[in-house]
Amino acid sequence: MSFVDLKNIRVSYDGKNNILKELNLSMEKGELISLLGPSGCGKTTTLRVIAGLIEPNDGTFTVGDSNLTKVPVHKRNFGMVFQSYALFPHLTVRENVGFGLKLRKEKKEVIEKKVQAILEATDLSHYAERYPKQLSGGQRQRVALARALVIEPQLLLLDEPLSNLDAKLRISMRIEIKRIQRKLGITTVFVTHDQEECFSISDKVAVMNNGVIEQYDSPEEIYKNPKTEFVARFIGFENFFALTKQDTHTYTTSDGTLIETVHSAGRQQTTGTIRPDDILLSAHDQEIPSNSLAGTIRVRTFLGKSYQYEVETSIGKLLVNDVQVPGYQVGDKVFVVIPKEKLILV
Amino acid sequence: MSKKIPYLILAPGLILLVFFLLIPLVSVIWPTFYNGTLSFDSYISFFKDTYNFGIFIRTIRVSIIVTVMCIILGVPTAYFIAGTSAKWRGLLMALTLFPMLTNSVIRSFAWINLLGQNGVVNKLLASIGIISKPLTLLYTEFSIIIGSIYLFLPILIITLVGVMENINPEIMEAAETLGASRIKAFIKVVLPLSIPGIIVGSILVFTGTLTAYTTPQLLGGNRNMMLSTFLYQNAMTLGNWEDASVIALIMIVTTLIVMKGFNLIANRIDKRGEQDA
Ligand SMILES: Nc1ncnc2c1ncn2[C@@H]1O[C@H](COP(=O)(O)OP(=O)(O)O)[C@@H](O)[C@H]1O
Ligand SMILES: [Mg+2]
Repeated sequence: MSFVDLKNIRVSYDGKNNILKELNLSMEKGELISLLGPSGCGKTTTLRVIAGLIEPNDGTFTVGDSNLTKVPVHKRNFGMVFQSYALFPHLTVRENVGFGLKLRKEKKEVIEKKVQAILEATDLSHYAERYPKQLSGGQRQRVALARALVIEPQLLLLDEPLSNLDAKLRISMRIEIKRIQRKLGITTVFVTHDQEECFSISDKVAVMNNGVIEQYDSPEEIYKNPKTEFVARFIGFENFFALTKQDTHTYTTSDGTLIETVHSAGRQQTTGTIRPDDILLSAHDQEIPSNSLAGTIRVRTFLGKSYQYEVETSIGKLLVNDVQVPGYQVGDKVFVVIPKEKLILV
Repeated sequence: MSKKIPYLILAPGLILLVFFLLIPLVSVIWPTFYNGTLSFDSYISFFKDTYNFGIFIRTIRVSIIVTVMCIILGVPTAYFIAGTSAKWRGLLMALTLFPMLTNSVIRSFAWINLLGQNGVVNKLLASIGIISKPLTLLYTEFSIIIGSIYLFLPILIITLVGVMENINPEIMEAAETLGASRIKAFIKVVLPLSIPGIIVGSILVFTGTLTAYTTPQLLGGNRNMMLSTFLYQNAMTLGNWEDASVIALIMIVTTLIVMKGFNLIANRIDKRGEQDA
């Protein structure tokens, strides 16, 4: 059994539509896992179930040996950072951060010491006497984090904590969050819809779609081996085509071309997918390369470090990013080469 | 030229205000200070009279009790209404507002029916055997208080719902994740954030009760005069315009002092300075 376990969680707000369906998720102690998925897929709902702000219609939630499914929010001792930060506008930074400790009836000196320590760790000591509305977005974000951390929570829950910050701050804050999380060894659930942010920070990633977790793996594994078409699309695979199995590693496209891949599918009919970055182009006057399709360049877009081509082939339109200069012109005949270790079956 | 235009636009309103409000007011108040020489004698002798002073104290007492009761009843009600879905909120607000659409005379008569010797309340209490002879509920301070609460509670609720529905519900949830029970979170977060609404609502209820005429007239009777009914009696029944003017100024000054007091309290509690709600 894992440290944290969500088993068969079902949530419905209106009694008709299930927002979460049979959701299962487990975490080990000290891990940072991410919930990744498009807006509306149920990430916040999952986090609110863990926090206790929503009671699931079905399913159980356990941490360690205790079943917390029906334990009220205020008895769980989880730190939560809301997307809106939800700071108390009538309290100073110091009072905001001390709020949880004061409720725990700790000694005044102890509270002061702990608050001071976390304010220093989050670089907020200069702003301790300010009110939330006198702070910048990044500072508010740190107050929300400090307020959640100071209670030494069993779990830390972060709901898109970086989405309101500008790009540069977002990167430095995610490094900071990871550092603090490591140092305190705090088991953390991080919600985001940003793929790069998620991969850079997480031990494991749960890709969510429509209330279910489609894949739960390490970031590398998800990047290299997406298990479903949805996951593949979400992390940047843009070319999808039907394949029919001939042998374990040999497949044919709809027009009969033989394509090899290092992967294998259980089913006879499957879908092959590849990133635009992973396809190679070669000129038409050369000999026919293996694992390739003939095609014609239809659209060429300059992307900066590469060109993006839309290539029309016998199995449909394929997107290819290619760095060769001067590259190809619209109308050029080319071969589209599909490296066998880069072709994924979903 | 551009600087004069705003004043020109203001002029008609200003003239109206001076002619129809300020001049009549001053002409009523002035004689209470001046008959040959300038003095506060009218006011000193008003307060020295124990009957008058009793009325003054009763008015203040009733207003305070009504305000406090409206806060006690109104705050939880408003919080409940603010937390419901938009559909329910509309319905509940309409229900709250409904009594305000009827005439205050009619509303007071409703209470006469309820509280009289043979009223609903007495009959009910007698029928379940709690009392053997009817209680005197009507024409007491109690009936004025009940009638006024009924009159002014909707105002406080509506003011507060406006403030409370602007409080981000996640703030309440944040307090809960930090270890506060619902009630604690309400007291530590929602209540302080509602202070501006409570202050505004309280000013409206307090000054409303202080100056209301119909309710104390119909429910208080002649033995439980309030400043407003006393003023009317002096002016209309006794033709004593000087005393009526004295009472009028006392009411105005009391209202101003109370408003100032509430604002001081508000500023002290709400340290955020300007709002960002
Ligand atoms: N309080 C609510 N009442 C009804 N539907 C809700 C509520 N909260 C969220 N939803 C719906 O549940 C779905 C998932 O929402 P949410 O968990 O917030 O998604 P995410 O955080 O992934 O963007 C959405 O379709 C949303 O409209
Ligand atoms: Mg969300």
